[in-house]
Amino acid sequence: MTFSGEFLAFMGLALVAIIGGVLLLNLTKVVHMVVALIFTFVAIAGIYVLLSAEFIAAVQILIYSGAITIIMLFGIMLTKHDDESEPKTGKWRKILVFLGIVGFAFAVYIGIYNFNIEQVPTTLHENNTMQIGKELYSKYIIPFELTSVLLLVALVGSIILAKNEKKEADSE
Amino acid sequence: MIEELLQSSPGWANFGIFFLLGAVLLLIVLGFVTYGILAERKVMGYMQLRHGPNQVGGKWGLLQTVADVLKLLLKEDIIPKAADRPLFIIAPVIAFAPSFMVLATMPFTDKFQFADIGVGLLYYIAVSGLTTFGMLLGGWASNNKYALLGGMRAAAQMISYEIPLVMSVLGVILLTGSLNLNEIVAKQEHGWFILLQPIGFIVFFIASIAELNRTPFDLPESENELVAGYHVEYSGFRWAFFMLAEYVYLFAMSALITVVFLGGWLPPLAILGFIPGAVWFALKFSVVVFVYIWLRSTFPRFRADRLMEFGWKVLLPVALANIFLTALIKSLFF
Repeated sequence: MTFSGEFLAFMGLALVAIIGGVLLLNLTKVVHMVVALIFTFVAIAGIYVLLSAEFIAAVQILIYSGAITIIMLFGIMLTKHDDESEPKTGKWRKILVFLGIVGFAFAVYIGIYNFNIEQVPTTLHENNTMQIGKELYSKYIIPFELTSVLLLVALVGSIILAKNEKKEADSE
Repeated sequence: MIEELLQSSPGWANFGIFFLLGAVLLLIVLGFVTYGILAERKVMGYMQLRHGPNQVGGKWGLLQTVADVLKLLLKEDIIPKAADRPLFIIAPVIAFAPSFMVLATMPFTDKFQFADIGVGLLYYIAVSGLTTFGMLLGGWASNNKYALLGGMRAAAQMISYEIPLVMSVLGVILLTGSLNLNEIVAKQEHGWFILLQPIGFIVFFIASIAELNRTPFDLPESENELVAGYHVEYSGFRWAFFMLAEYVYLFAMSALITVVFLGGWLPPLAILGFIPGAVWFALKFSVVVFVYIWLRSTFPRFRADRLMEFGWKVLLPVALANIFLTALIKSLFF
C-alpha cells in the first residue's frame, strides 16, 4: 500500500467519523450526542471530497450538518434537554451483541479479503456538478419532479399543522 | 503553484509549506481584524460626530485594538459552575474554525488562491453554516436564559437568511454556468454582475448582513434586550474567539461580494489594466467593508417578529422572481 497524503487524509477523516459514531452511542447527554453526530457528518463530507465528489460533499454539509442537525438541536433544547439515556445492561444481551459483532466482522472480512474491484477509467470526476445537473434534468426528470412534489406536500402539511395549533390556542 | 504542491508526494517539506502558507493567511486575516475593528470604531465615531479611539498609539489610536486584545488575553478565564463544561469549551472553536475554512476557496487574485474547487460558491455557503452550531451550543452550554435566547435567535436567523442568500446568487450561477469562483470572475470581464444582477445583489447584500449578525440584524447579541446574547457568560479569550469569528466572516463575506458581484481582481476598464489585480481587489474589498460599517451606524435594529417575516415574505419571493427573470433574459438574449 502506498503511503500517500490521500491515505493520511482518509485515515484521519475515517477515524473522526468512527469516533463520532461511537461517541454518539456512548455519550449520555443528548446534546453531546448531536455534537458527535455533526463531527461524523463533516468527516463523511471530507471523504466525499477525497472521492472527488465535491458537490455531494457541499450538499452533505449544507443539508445534514447544517439544516437537519439544527432542527434536531432545536427539538432537543426546547423539550426535555436534561434527559439522559440510561445504560441498559443484561448478561444475555451483551453476549448476543458480542456474538453478532464477531459474526459481522467475520462475514465482512471474508467478503472483502478477495474482493477485486476492477479499475475502470471514467470521466465521472471531471465537472461532476455539471454532469449531475445534466443527468437530473434529462434522464431522471420524473423522479426529480416527484421528489419536489413530495417535499411541497410535506411543506404545506407542516404549515397546516402549525396553523391548527395556533387556532386552538386562540380559542382557549 | 498550489496545484503542483497538491499533486506532489507528501513529506515534511510539503507539510511545512502548507503550514507556513496557512499561518501567513491567518496573520493577514488577524491584521485585517485588528485594523477592521479600529476602522469601524473610527468611521462610526466620525459618523456620530465624535473622534473614536485617539489615545493609545498616537492621534489615530493605531494600537487601540492591540491593547484591547492584550487585555482580553490577560483576563481571568471564567467557566460558570452550572455550565456544560465540555460544550462551553468547544463552542468558540466550532464557531471560529469554519470562518477560517471558508477562506480556502477565495480567489484574492488570479495567482493567490488556496483551493480552486469546482463548487467554490456552494462550499462557502455550506461551511459558513457550521458556525451556527458554535453560537447555538455556546448559548445552550452557558446555562443562562439570555444566552439560550440569543443562541436560538442566531440559529433561526442564520438558517432563514441562508435561503435568500443562496437563491440570490443563483442568478449569477445561471449567467456563468459554473459554481467555480474563478470562472465567475472571468465571466465579469465585460460587465460586473452588480450591473447585470442588481436585484440579486441587493437581496444578497441584505441577507449577508443578517448572516454576519451586524446591525440592522444583530438580534442574537442585542445589548439592550439580551444583555449580550449567546456570549453573555463568556469572558477573556473564549469571548475573543467569538468576536474573531464575527470579524473573519466580515472579511470573508466582503471578499465573496467582491468576487461574485464586483469583478474580483479585474480592473473596471481595460485601460486601467496596468494596476495590479491585488490593488483592485483591495480597493473593492475596502468599499464593501466601508458600506457594512456605514449601514451599522445608520440603521436601527429590526424587531424580532418583523425579522422572520422580512426574510421569508420579502427577500425569498424577490430572490425567486430574480431567478425567473434571469432565466427568461438568458434564454431570450444570450
